[in-house]
Amino acid sequence: MSLLLPSCPGCGAALGEGMFNRLDLTPCPACGVPVQVEIFPALFRPPARGRGGEAVIVEGESSCFYHPQKKAVVPCDGCGRFLCALCDCELRGEHFCPACLEVGRQKGRIKRLENQRTLYDAIALSLAILPLLIFYFTVITAPIALYLAIRYWNAPLSIVRRTKVRLVLAILLATLQILGWGVGAYFLFTRIKPHG
Amino acid sequence: MAETQYRRLTRPHRRKSGFVAVTYVRSSLWLGNDHLLAIDSNGYSESYKRFYFQDIQMIAIRLTRRRLIWNWVLTVPIAMWLLGLAYELVVRRNPDVVGLAIAILWTLIPGVPLLLNNLLGPTCACTVRTAVQTEDLPSLCRLPKTRRILNLLRPLIAQAQGQLAPEEIPARLQAWTQAPVSAPTAAESEPRSVIDDPNVPPKIIP
Repeated sequence: MSLLLPSCPGCGAALGEGMFNRLDLTPCPACGVPVQVEIFPALFRPPARGRGGEAVIVEGESSCFYHPQKKAVVPCDGCGRFLCALCDCELRGEHFCPACLEVGRQKGRIKRLENQRTLYDAIALSLAILPLLIFYFTVITAPIALYLAIRYWNAPLSIVRRTKVRLVLAILLATLQILGWGVGAYFLFTRIKPHG
Repeated sequence: MAETQYRRLTRPHRRKSGFVAVTYVRSSLWLGNDHLLAIDSNGYSESYKRFYFQDIQMIAIRLTRRRLIWNWVLTVPIAMWLLGLAYELVVRRNPDVVGLAIAILWTLIPGVPLLLNNLLGPTCACTVRTAVQTEDLPSLCRLPKTRRILNLLRPLIAQAQGQLAPEEIPARLQAWTQAPVSAPTAAESEPRSVIDDPNVPPKIIP
């Protein structure tokens, strides 16, 4: 992948040497659309090669937890197990074994690997506001909104700055709707007199 | 572990997902300590893509015709209203104050977006490339803003990767394209480990 020549983002044609890192737009020689292409030294960096791990030569030398015949080179930052070069997964200066990497990604412990979040605060607030258009739906949606807001109070919000104001609003609105239904039901049942 | 502090670079902008979009995804760009964060959000969930400064290989900007198209789309109704107004004033000579006010209001409705469309500058499309992906950045859709952000990113990328002098680009490109692809040695070509499951350590073949 790294050996692909920089090309025009519009037509995909290879660009000439003189078209890179110019501070103005230059027409693409193939399609004529003005383009500006900035390339950086990482383009010329050869792809990193995997390491195989050295065999244990001296008896008593620490060996890999997963491959006892391979020499340990680093402990896992997640579980502390010794790892050989083959099992060592480096992530921006931290070293993990494949198992810790997967668990860390799934459970969100390694923030750098987190690539998705559900915004429960937005869901709860939508459930508290949108059904107001057809009020009868709130008898179902208000308890759900209240449940979501309380259940996910401590769940991580967006990765970028965000406050809990949506959760607070959802709780307030859902509580008011539930109270409204409660008061309505109370008056309905107390005003209706049994016949006879 | 404390979460990285991000600084907003762009407001959310719609990511095109085909001719007819089923979901409305908005994309925004944020600046982290050592990476650029692209967030795609549909309002109820967010997906993140991180572009580390030391991995960015290329940033490309391409001019698009979106501004021109919007100019036509907005100018046609304005022209129609102005023609109607001219007909009323010149031919029929019957200037009605209420009618005039309504006509001016209807002219302003497409007029303000037309003005904004031209004040924001030419439209463009921006892509960022790393060793493993080429990604569109839909929120960088106006040339002045894109250049402003590129000027902000350039020193950060240079700090992480080093500077690439313009005069050394031709030589490096030539050396890079002419470099022979190294054939694996006999020892390297032999399978030494297999990965049955990506979530468990590889098995070594003796």
